[in-house]
Amino acid sequence: MLDVLLEPFADGIGQRALMEVVLVGVVCGPLGVWILLFRQTYAAESISHAMLPGLVIAALAGFPLLLGAAGGVLAAAGAIALAGRDERVGPDVAVAVAITTLFGLGAALALSPEAPPRIGELLFGDLLGVSEGDLVATGLLAAAVVAVLAGSHRALALAAFDPVGARSLGTRPGPIAFLLLVLLGLTTLAAVQSLGNLLVLALIVAPAAAALNLTSRLGPALALAAALTVAAGVSGLYLSWYLDLAGGASVALCAVALFGLSLLRRPARATGRPLRVFGRAPIDVFTGTR
Amino acid sequence: MRVLYDLLIEPFSAPFMQRALLEVLLLAVPGGVLGSWIVLRRLAFYTHAAGTAAFPGLVVAGPWGLPPQLTALACGLGLAGGLSGLTRTRRVDLDAAIGLGLVLALAIGVILASDLYESGSGVDRLLFGTLIGLGTTDVWLTAGLALVALGANVALRRPWLAGGFDPASARSLGVRARMGDWLLLALIALAVVAALEAVGALLVAVIFVLPAATARLVFVRLTALQLASVGLAAAEGVAGLWLARRLDIGPGPALAMIGGALFAVTAGMRALPRQVAAAPSAPGARA
Amino acid sequence: MTAAPVVAVRRLSGGYVAGDGALVDVNFEVWPGQVIAVLAPNGGGKTTLFRALLGELPFSSGEIELPHRPAYVPQTERSRLDFPVSALDVALMGAYGRTPWYRRLSSADREVGRAALDRVGLADRSRSPFGTLSGGQRQRVLIARALVQEAPVILLDEPLSGVDRVSATHIEEIFADLSAEGRALLIATHDIAQARRSDRVLCLARGQVAFGPPDVTLSTDVLRRTYGAELIVLDESTAVAVDHHAH
Repeated sequence: MLDVLLEPFADGIGQRALMEVVLVGVVCGPLGVWILLFRQTYAAESISHAMLPGLVIAALAGFPLLLGAAGGVLAAAGAIALAGRDERVGPDVAVAVAITTLFGLGAALALSPEAPPRIGELLFGDLLGVSEGDLVATGLLAAAVVAVLAGSHRALALAAFDPVGARSLGTRPGPIAFLLLVLLGLTTLAAVQSLGNLLVLALIVAPAAAALNLTSRLGPALALAAALTVAAGVSGLYLSWYLDLAGGASVALCAVALFGLSLLRRPARATGRPLRVFGRAPIDVFTGTR
Repeated sequence: MRVLYDLLIEPFSAPFMQRALLEVLLLAVPGGVLGSWIVLRRLAFYTHAAGTAAFPGLVVAGPWGLPPQLTALACGLGLAGGLSGLTRTRRVDLDAAIGLGLVLALAIGVILASDLYESGSGVDRLLFGTLIGLGTTDVWLTAGLALVALGANVALRRPWLAGGFDPASARSLGVRARMGDWLLLALIALAVVAALEAVGALLVAVIFVLPAATARLVFVRLTALQLASVGLAAAEGVAGLWLARRLDIGPGPALAMIGGALFAVTAGMRALPRQVAAAPSAPGARA
Repeated sequence: MTAAPVVAVRRLSGGYVAGDGALVDVNFEVWPGQVIAVLAPNGGGKTTLFRALLGELPFSSGEIELPHRPAYVPQTERSRLDFPVSALDVALMGAYGRTPWYRRLSSADREVGRAALDRVGLADRSRSPFGTLSGGQRQRVLIARALVQEAPVILLDEPLSGVDRVSATHIEEIFADLSAEGRALLIATHDIAQARRSDRVLCLARGQVAFGPPDVTLSTDVLRRTYGAELIVLDESTAVAVDHHAH
């Protein structure tokens, strides 16, 4: 029995993958909770797309990929913020415009003859190709993001639950949301080597959504999200090893499965304001009123 | 004169380019008409997700011998159905549900792709679209879609307007808003499928969001917005095709760059008088 | 004066709306021309009740007799402010229910829309985009929409909250007019003083606390049972409920 548990991690590759997944999990979980509370899922999904031009330019110019990705992400956060300044542009349209343009640019560069041929890897990641240098970078980024999240906890909570009250207490929701985007970008950076461009969203959204289903208090939700994300990552590694599936996709499937399990728990009676209340949210198609 | 011909007309002389031209011009109709609704009703994320969710369908179509439009549509409708089920439980809102659906679709697609495709080249085409792959079936389907979009726009204008403006009151107004919402999502899924071959699974927003978003910066009233969006989508489509041919890239990325540039210019022109006149306003993204 | 109530609710229980409580054994009747104040704390079931009356909510037992579909005036925060609709467009939405989709709105209906806007004092703003109006003006436009519907029962969700003084006075005058014409109004409110001016009061706190004329129903005891800790009693005849809505 122990053999089955330990076998995938017997060698350096497996151990580094495990370490990577734990580091990424610890930061994606809590960040994911904030992303859901601020309704920024689209930005979360798309910011990893916008990394593409940065990655390609870095690959073409010979810079370290991490630098290129960082540049791409910052450009994305900035572009989203810029696009959203016009009042005729809604938050989702801002993301759509900014990311589509950047991603298109990246794809155009990637498809040109001079670009390296393995674009698939850039997009989908290579969980088993994590080097020690990658681990260090991931660890540093993760630590930085977690530190900032912890430090801004109160400001984030205010901006999420009471944007009107927040202003009177000196917290401005606009810059807070931008900070969140930047943290999102950094987290995506940390996770991109392992999960790749397209699947980072899985670890950000699914375990956090599960955590929010299982508890109605913010602190426990943040901790639970971190735990669930690590669990999703580890079980994804097992899945990938024993079923010979792509690493990133396996982790994503496990994360979504965890969410599915969380739906089995019966919802508690609404006792007061439910956790997911956020000021002037866009009215969504199905639930209409809050 | 010859130079001008070589520059502007010659790229469109091949038969496949003419099909592609017809395709983007036809796509401009739902792109502008539905795109206006997508922008007004904040459905950009759903539209993008519908495109991305089609990815697994596209992956299996060739190897399994099924028409890609069918498999893609099945995925899109599956997404819409899954979203309805999830949001009906009221335990996760639409935003998160879309994210989850998207992730699931992508993960399944990746796993299937690594099984069915040895190299990455097929995957590229699925993600970014193709010029040469467009057949006459695609064009006929798009023409049909354009008609359906125009018809629905007339028939469902009131549910979409009343339901989007104030969903809480729709029932009391006697407006079938729920049904209208459903049909809008299904129609978007259908429209996205029609655009997949041309622009790829990840860039459907270049047709359905970018032109309408740009037009919205200038036009507010619905009919004017829709007309402008269709016109802009058509113009961008032609320019995008030209660029794609010249640079030998997929239409998706070309349209993205042109659409993005146009948006930036329009938004910039709007912002200019304000920057000159007023003090800078609070920075940051809208939450 | 007709011989039957326009709304009759008997032993209504059930319904679960996220963020609001379920109803337990609610009973009341509304007659034409009556103004009913619905008092409930947050989570007390006011939204649930309205949703049930609008036919949007399945409930586990009891019955609702509602011969005519009521008109609904929600709080204006619920509407999109960036939609391309003018005040007149919004008012005319009231006619959507009686116009088949293939027909344009009749000129008669357009006149009804203009008249409704005039009645709420916004005839000169009929072409203004809805989002450019003040909170009170937007509320009045939504009331105009309900008028265009020509429904005998109107449900109003806190119509005076966050509304400026001028609009509030205007709106209360409109209520008096509507009542005089024989329409029934159900007004959800946190304003106990306003409740005292109504014909009947319905107090909900996850279940019916009381229903009846305000002078006998609005005792301190009833208010306590309705609002619990949210009640601030100033003196024998004045009590204030804590208002949760930071607008």
